[in-house]
Amino acid sequence: MKLFKKISILTISLVSISAVSCKKLLDENPRANITPQFSTTPGGVLGEIVGIYGDMRNLWGTEGFTNITLAGTDEYLAGGSATSSTIPFFTYTNLVGNVTAYNAVSIFAVAYQDINTANGVLQYGPAAFPDAETRTEYLAQAKFLRALYYFYLVQTFGPVPLHTTFISTPTTSDSRASIADVYAQIITDLTQASTELQTIPGETIASTGATSPFAGKAATRATALYLLAKVYLTRGWSSAAQSTDFAMALSTAQSLISNAATYKLGLWQDFASANAPGNEYGEETLFVVDESNSTKYGNYVAGGAGGAYNITNDLFRPNYPTVNANYPATGGANVMTRDIANGRPFIRIRPNPAYVIEQAFADKVNDSRYYKTFQTTWIANTANVTTPRGTLTVGADTAIWMPPYDPGATKRATFKGIILTPPEDSAPNPYTTVFYPSMRKYDDPNRTGVNDPSTRPFILFRYADVYMIAAEAAYKTGDMTTAANMINVIRTRAAYQSTNTAAQNTAAVAAMQITPAQVTLDYILDERSREFYGECQRWYDLVRTQSLIRRTQQYNAEGGPNIQSFEDLRPIPQTEIDLVTTGPAFPQNPGY
Amino acid sequence: MEILKLIKCCKTMLLLLGISLLSLSAFAQSSEVSGRVVDEKGEPIPGATIKLKSHQGATSTDTKGKFSINLPSPKDTIIVSFVGYNTQEIHLTAKSANIRISLTVNNNNLNEVVVVGYGTQRKRDVTGAISTISEDALAVVPSDNVVDQLKGRLAGVDIVSNSSQPGASDQIRIRGDRSLGASQAQNDAQNQPLIILDGVPFIGGSINDLNPDDISSLDVLKDASATAIYGSRASGGVILITTKRGKAGKPITTYNAYYGISHITSQYPLFNGAEYAAFKAEATAGNTVNPGTTAYGLTTAEQAGLADGTNTNWQNLIFRPGYTTDQLLSVSGGTDDTQYGISAGYHKDQGTVYGQDFERYTLRTTIDHRINSRIRVGLNSLENVTITNGEDLYPLYNTVSLSPLTSPYNTDGSVNLLPLAGSIDASKVNPATITNPNIQDLSRRLNTFNSLYGEVNILDGLKYRANVGLTYGQTQGNTYTPVSNLYNTATATSQTTESVGNTQDYSYLLENLLTYDKTYGKNHLTLTGLYSVEKDHSDGSTFNGVGLPADYIQSYNLNLANSISAANGTYSEKGLISYMARANYSFDDKYLLTATVRRDGSSVLTSGNQFLTYPAFAFGWNADREDFLKDVSWVSNLKVRAGYGVTSNQSVAPYSTLGNLTINAYNFGTNGYNGYLVTSVPANLKFETTDNYNLGIDFGFLHNRLSGSIDVYDQRTNNILQTISLPPSDGAGSTLINAGKTKGKGLEISLSSINVKTASGFTWNTDFNISFYRDAIVALHNGLQSDPGNGWFVGQPFDVIYDYKKIGIWQTAQAAEAAKYGEKPGEIEVEDVNHDGVINASDRQVLGSYQPKFESGLTNRFSYMGIDATFVAFARIGQMVAVPYLGSDSGSSGYPFFNTGRVNQYKVDYWTPTNPTNEFPRPDASGTFPYASTLQYRDGSFIKMRSISLGYTIPSTSLKNSGISSIRIYTTCSNPFIIWSPLTRSGLGIDPEGNGYGGTLTGASGYSTNAIGRAITVGLNDPPTRTFELGVSAKF
Repeated sequence: MKLFKKISILTISLVSISAVSCKKLLDENPRANITPQFSTTPGGVLGEIVGIYGDMRNLWGTEGFTNITLAGTDEYLAGGSATSSTIPFFTYTNLVGNVTAYNAVSIFAVAYQDINTANGVLQYGPAAFPDAETRTEYLAQAKFLRALYYFYLVQTFGPVPLHTTFISTPTTSDSRASIADVYAQIITDLTQASTELQTIPGETIASTGATSPFAGKAATRATALYLLAKVYLTRGWSSAAQSTDFAMALSTAQSLISNAATYKLGLWQDFASANAPGNEYGEETLFVVDESNSTKYGNYVAGGAGGAYNITNDLFRPNYPTVNANYPATGGANVMTRDIANGRPFIRIRPNPAYVIEQAFADKVNDSRYYKTFQTTWIANTANVTTPRGTLTVGADTAIWMPPYDPGATKRATFKGIILTPPEDSAPNPYTTVFYPSMRKYDDPNRTGVNDPSTRPFILFRYADVYMIAAEAAYKTGDMTTAANMINVIRTRAAYQSTNTAAQNTAAVAAMQITPAQVTLDYILDERSREFYGECQRWYDLVRTQSLIRRTQQYNAEGGPNIQSFEDLRPIPQTEIDLVTTGPAFPQNPGY
Repeated sequence: MEILKLIKCCKTMLLLLGISLLSLSAFAQSSEVSGRVVDEKGEPIPGATIKLKSHQGATSTDTKGKFSINLPSPKDTIIVSFVGYNTQEIHLTAKSANIRISLTVNNNNLNEVVVVGYGTQRKRDVTGAISTISEDALAVVPSDNVVDQLKGRLAGVDIVSNSSQPGASDQIRIRGDRSLGASQAQNDAQNQPLIILDGVPFIGGSINDLNPDDISSLDVLKDASATAIYGSRASGGVILITTKRGKAGKPITTYNAYYGISHITSQYPLFNGAEYAAFKAEATAGNTVNPGTTAYGLTTAEQAGLADGTNTNWQNLIFRPGYTTDQLLSVSGGTDDTQYGISAGYHKDQGTVYGQDFERYTLRTTIDHRINSRIRVGLNSLENVTITNGEDLYPLYNTVSLSPLTSPYNTDGSVNLLPLAGSIDASKVNPATITNPNIQDLSRRLNTFNSLYGEVNILDGLKYRANVGLTYGQTQGNTYTPVSNLYNTATATSQTTESVGNTQDYSYLLENLLTYDKTYGKNHLTLTGLYSVEKDHSDGSTFNGVGLPADYIQSYNLNLANSISAANGTYSEKGLISYMARANYSFDDKYLLTATVRRDGSSVLTSGNQFLTYPAFAFGWNADREDFLKDVSWVSNLKVRAGYGVTSNQSVAPYSTLGNLTINAYNFGTNGYNGYLVTSVPANLKFETTDNYNLGIDFGFLHNRLSGSIDVYDQRTNNILQTISLPPSDGAGSTLINAGKTKGKGLEISLSSINVKTASGFTWNTDFNISFYRDAIVALHNGLQSDPGNGWFVGQPFDVIYDYKKIGIWQTAQAAEAAKYGEKPGEIEVEDVNHDGVINASDRQVLGSYQPKFESGLTNRFSYMGIDATFVAFARIGQMVAVPYLGSDSGSSGYPFFNTGRVNQYKVDYWTPTNPTNEFPRPDASGTFPYASTLQYRDGSFIKMRSISLGYTIPSTSLKNSGISSIRIYTTCSNPFIIWSPLTRSGLGIDPEGNGYGGTLTGASGYSTNAIGRAITVGLNDPPTRTFELGVSAKF
């Protein structure tokens, strides 16, 4: 019996040992994950606003979204290394039957992820802050970001789902709201944000004395006003137009101009400064998607490409390192070597010379913007390169020259480097799909490796656009005088060249002025090309002004023959249509 | 904390065991009896078990068949048994000496013991569908791991290669898939079997941690009536691995070794120099965007190469002869009370690609000790270190894409570092750099796996057993990629990449088992009760650096890196509480009944749904014992089995129910902040369940000359835990839900026959198995009929290929018709399914399935006079495979620039105006390849010879006085040849077996459909190898 007693004690002990913390064993305590409960804390609210800003890097600066904003317009043709999946965005060939091609590059999924996060901030955030002023400023960021995304959505897709509350339970149903409802929500959010946001980035919050975290060029009241003006302008053109829209766009833009000092806004004297490296946080910038050389915060990894990296510094580059000394004959050394100053040639997007050189930038003498937008010379950086016309001296000779005109046979016979000219000039050696003038607005000379992504913030909105919005709004209200005045502000600045004498600049300014009679829609669109070439606005400019089809057909020999009348709206991503499985089917846009 | 608690708990247990048992030792008078056990021919039988019928002692014979045993009482009976021989009972007295016991061969293997989980059963008592394979059968196929050895060996056990690198494990499925896992990881987690090593779940470990030489048997539980006892992780079947343990008797020393040389079976066939130039020219002519132009013209060097006939085979630079070596030394033995086994092993597989190899060191210790007549304790401890090099290095694409018109070396003999200089791919580096010793892709894993038990006979028939399982594993990964290298084309040393990563995992398991075993007349009853708790933990971190001052530092001082960043840390803990009760009842050994009930509680499910209880039943009828069959001489064995059971599944990642914010940092100017995005919201999850019916027959005819099993089954899975993609407008990309139903049914046949057995000793045995499996999706979720992105369609098998169907290439004469579809001659013509004159998403169709129609394995063994020869073949027939390198692919296993003429590629028969083939489209320098994905779907059927082995056992007569009791030398050829494969026959592949996953075809012009990520595909990875091994196994 003694034995049995011992055994029972043993058994009971063992069972009870393993029963300890039995209940606890089934509790979950994550340590490496952050769960949605975090949204209700101040750190969670700030973190979610930061997260939305960070998510914008998945669009602005990436190849996919850059193509969405630029390709298939009057300004651009596909570069020689444009991937086979993006070429149709330039040429419109077989693009219609292939809605899935849009999935990877579409703003749709990113926008709704950020909108839902913003809705969470607006829903759970109020309880997180005891201080009213802090609360107001933080939540206004979410309103601004939500409005910004809805604005891009409604322009890209037309009617889209409108969610203004946090979706806390997964759902597989959704439907589209009218564009009138979407615009109304955007205007409500932006109107509130334009009085609730900080006045200047990173200002001190008076009630607490703390500094706002939203420094750099995060959203301010001015950013909200700029976007509000553009929203009114865009709605004015749309089927949801209100009679007051253009007037509201004009007055909003004008109020921003008259209060520019308050918002510390202005135009650089030199057009080149607006997009120059180091000036991203300057007076002309309204809003950026920030980047830096920090690996953790700045989205920088040596050699990084694809993903969320800003590779605008690579996309517009021609394949300059493969121009050989005997060009166009083969053989001979390559006249240039890839370096930081000249950039990594991605060869994705090239200018459409028929429009860019011959039409938009026809004036290259008084208007300084062509040469400030395009790199046309490559200075020799490779030793021992001899062309049939002589040996190139590193650092002195121009190895490749792509003037926007034919310099003539005499010049060609004596110029040691390689000359390429616009195809329209019918001279020897026309630009090709891989050799063409390089767009320089995104140059980043400060990165360490030649294959590194850009460490420069991506400028979304520039103060110059306020004048152009005002001009377009005035034009639509029939006030051609104001329209001309606004455009002339931009053109006056465009005339300035630091290398000119004061007299030369004055003369150029005078030559650049336009009269109210010259203001037409096409003039405004040409002017926008000159001012904003490459700034990821063109597709939206043409769609807003209902000019995409007409101008692509008029100027773009590759896309023009294929573009169809409905292609000024992008298709709803197929995933959205496929995955709405409950309730009514999600309709596709017409034509797709 | 957990570890501390655990240690405390173990200490307490052992202490209690020790204290309780010390007082129980007893003393008795005894006398020693000795003898010798021999077979029918008089040859000694080493390792035979000698057991006293009084249950008071046991021993085993030594290498010469000799034994001695203490008789506690003057009269006793010993039971002499050995696998494959009839058991004998011998009455002894204290005066018996030097008795000779001759065992007769038992053709009826029904007394063999089968491991059934939480205990063993005689084979004739088993009611579930269980397949068993012995160590000898496994050893015929030398391999890095036991799973690979199992390929084609057991009916219903499907093992598919998913990598061709050294140390690669395979994908295992028992009776197919049941659950819908979208990603590869999820699919594996939800469908792969549970591996139980010596009674303890092998969680967190890699199959590579196990030395195949240490395995004594492997049993596979297939139907729910058998797997139900393992509950919610067993829905994918259970593999029970039993390692070798010591037996009482004189020490037996075993030495096994083999050495093999391996070569790749074939290189990838590519365009040669002249063909490559022609291909480029055709791509220029075929440019559909800018006709007659190309961005990929021949460089100066290439033109020179074309002129002087340069034709470089770059593959020669990355392959080398590999070798395999394996050594195992083990000693086992023991006394009546204590048995021990120790072994040390070393295995190395030097890959056929530079920088890739796999090494393993193992140590194993087992101790079983009987403290007294009632109490036994034991320990099994496995320690191992595995070192894998180059498992994430994929040199093939960057090698085969190089131009054959350029030379690897300059005229002065130096390496031509940038052979494509002057082209768009100028930065590609010569693969000769692959031999740089500073390239690092190292994974070193230490794993210790321990199981302890204490067993108490409380009453006659009532037994209590405590099992403790403890595992700890740690893996360190080091990578370093120097610049100007095949793997890193950057040139500045500021752009080297390095990383250090660590993960640790540990698990503990505490089991309390009570068994009651009683026989009343013809009734035999066994009751088993279980209560167990288990916790699995893992955490890990990885740090990355960029730039280093010198290559030799590799990843050993990240502080020297120009920049350092951390990857997301990982942490997960999972708890499982289980209760199980099982009753086995048999009447007259004729009628068998098994009833099981299990209740599992899992931490990963939503609170309130964490527990589930489910039953299983099985009946068996040993018909051969019935009077009407007793006298039918040709029936040696006939059993009918029927079972029904429920199993459950909860294999979702911990914290799946809580929702998640994704980290996304950002800087406002110079201020950096951590940011978060809502990417998933809380999910409400419960158990997934599978209902399974199984009907089986085991038979043996003609004195078991022909024996085997036939099983049919039907399984239905409900409330499937699956990730569903949400409409993007939902904000969160996906969520987990319980939804959907699947069904599956199958037929498995295993046959063993002794075809020839002559008096002269010549025997020819055949083992054959074939299994058919058909599954289908019954419902997805929310009434959804199809989920093309995941390859799921109601009414179709699990993993189908859904895409356009290529019906040919548009020919010149069809130009007008092609134009209607916006296409040109030379482009792919696909079927316009709905004849609406437009090819769009609705013209996609199910083209086939990744699942085979059937699988089969065949093993033939011949033996004569000590010579043995074995042939193992296996077949998978009727499945489609995706071959990503035949389409335009962005993955590491395919061609980003397929058919553009930009780089060299797999040699295919492409269309030109003068070569109107229907195989591959016209090269097009613009890269416009509508429907390129349709090129990759191929018939993946194959019959392969897995191994051929020839051995010679030196007769024991010639080993007299040598100290060696037995010795066998053998030679094996692994993977000798492919018997039949449409893919290799067509020249479009070099191996029909898979070597990677997915191979996402983002495709030309976006026309393509992705190969689903979980699908095993035949990509451009290491070629298969053929190995010739020479081995010896000796016993001392």
